[in-house]
Amino acid sequence: MQRQVMTLTVNGDRHEVLVSPRQTLLDVLRGQLGLTGTKEGCATGTCGVCTVNNAEGEALLSCLTPALEWDGEAVTTIEGLERDGRLAPIQQAFVEYGAVQCGFCTPGVIMSAQGLLNASEQPGEEQINDGMAGVLCRCTGHIKVKEAIRNVGRFRDAPAK
Amino acid sequence: MHLPAHEFVKPRTLAESLDVLRQAGNVKLIAGGTDVTFNMRGRLFQPDVLLSVRGLDELSGVGVDGDGWLRVGAATRLTDIENAPALGDWPMLRKACRSVASRHVRNMATLGGNLCLDTRCWYTNQTAEWRQARGPCLKNGVEACHAIKTSPVCVALNASDIAPALIALDAEILLASADNERRLPLADFYTADGVHHTVRKSDELLVAVRVPPTADATVYIKETARKGNDFSYAVIAGRKTDERVSKLVLGCLSMRPIQLTGVLDVLGSGELTEALIDQAADACRAELGVLTNLYTPAAYKAGLARALVRRALQTLKET
Repeated sequence: MQRQVMTLTVNGDRHEVLVSPRQTLLDVLRGQLGLTGTKEGCATGTCGVCTVNNAEGEALLSCLTPALEWDGEAVTTIEGLERDGRLAPIQQAFVEYGAVQCGFCTPGVIMSAQGLLNASEQPGEEQINDGMAGVLCRCTGHIKVKEAIRNVGRFRDAPAK
Repeated sequence: MHLPAHEFVKPRTLAESLDVLRQAGNVKLIAGGTDVTFNMRGRLFQPDVLLSVRGLDELSGVGVDGDGWLRVGAATRLTDIENAPALGDWPMLRKACRSVASRHVRNMATLGGNLCLDTRCWYTNQTAEWRQARGPCLKNGVEACHAIKTSPVCVALNASDIAPALIALDAEILLASADNERRLPLADFYTADGVHHTVRKSDELLVAVRVPPTADATVYIKETARKGNDFSYAVIAGRKTDERVSKLVLGCLSMRPIQLTGVLDVLGSGELTEALIDQAADACRAELGVLTNLYTPAAYKAGLARALVRRALQTLKET
């Protein structure tokens, strides 16, 4: 099957990439674009480790998305959260609250949390559970993750370090 | 693992999509992709053409028609259905949509996709390498079933959490092909064959779902291993019209959702006493047919069905 050229805007940069229909969005991010922050876990939609945000800022699973389906659209990956070397508030919150264990799921967990925060600046307990149920930390670090999300406000508009 | 080789086609209109469906042979429709991509990776779907209808205007949106019926485009995402103000009058549908998988999946998955979800089986829903140990089955065109050895038909289970709710609400669906359009009750969409589990013809596309207005009391219960991100062990949807239980639909226990008409007969228009609820719950096993497949034993499934009928009736009694 013929490869096709598609355009994909990732973290604000517009790319033209040659893509096979056999590839998923995750394959293109990691393979063609070298953005290896986004991980492949289960590849079945269960673990959420491959989570990126769409143009509306919602969490989506890049492993279940055929790449060509996303032709002409924009996504944000974990690499796109920091600005000029300064971590995004949710990233800083993860650091301060120690919401990281082995770290493999962390990009997916943070992009899920960012998706949640894009919809609601101060999500309640039910919203946090709803937004984070689709991403699994097998080191079982979910409590710290929820603390970081609850307290993300502390890291908004914080002075640059 | 890469997806199987295929041609990816994404028309801009419904008419073009229907043309592709009419002309091409081995076509798989894709919208959200959460089930199709998964099954392609497991080599259960190996289409020549993948036809994307994601975001097609004609298939998107939630609204109320002039006759008061709710209309949901088949390619509307579950998240958008949950958030639609119109759903306030159909709370059971909102609850059913919200029960599906995770926020991540619902940000992608569509109503049409959920209603057409491929059936699931403990044998076939393994990796292609794993399945090589015992070889193909009815799902791959071979006269063999590894779930129930003696079964002449595929016993893979219907996996839709939403179908039972919509059947209880008397929803109808709209199917379109290049030369035809037809409506049918969602209850008649499903068959008792895990391979050809809907009556959709290969050139047809599910366009929309319509749900009549109702003020009836409803109940929807989903039983699952974990609250988030799991397929159901079973779901039940029920409805009470004029002080009488008018619908009870069990999902995910059979090749298609089961309407428990025998249970309704036992209930009649009697008062929902504990004794009557018990009697009705006992009648449920006879309507389930052969019970096996998927992760839980038959005895558990029979007990679960009984318990769900009891819980649904108790809830309806209190509302």
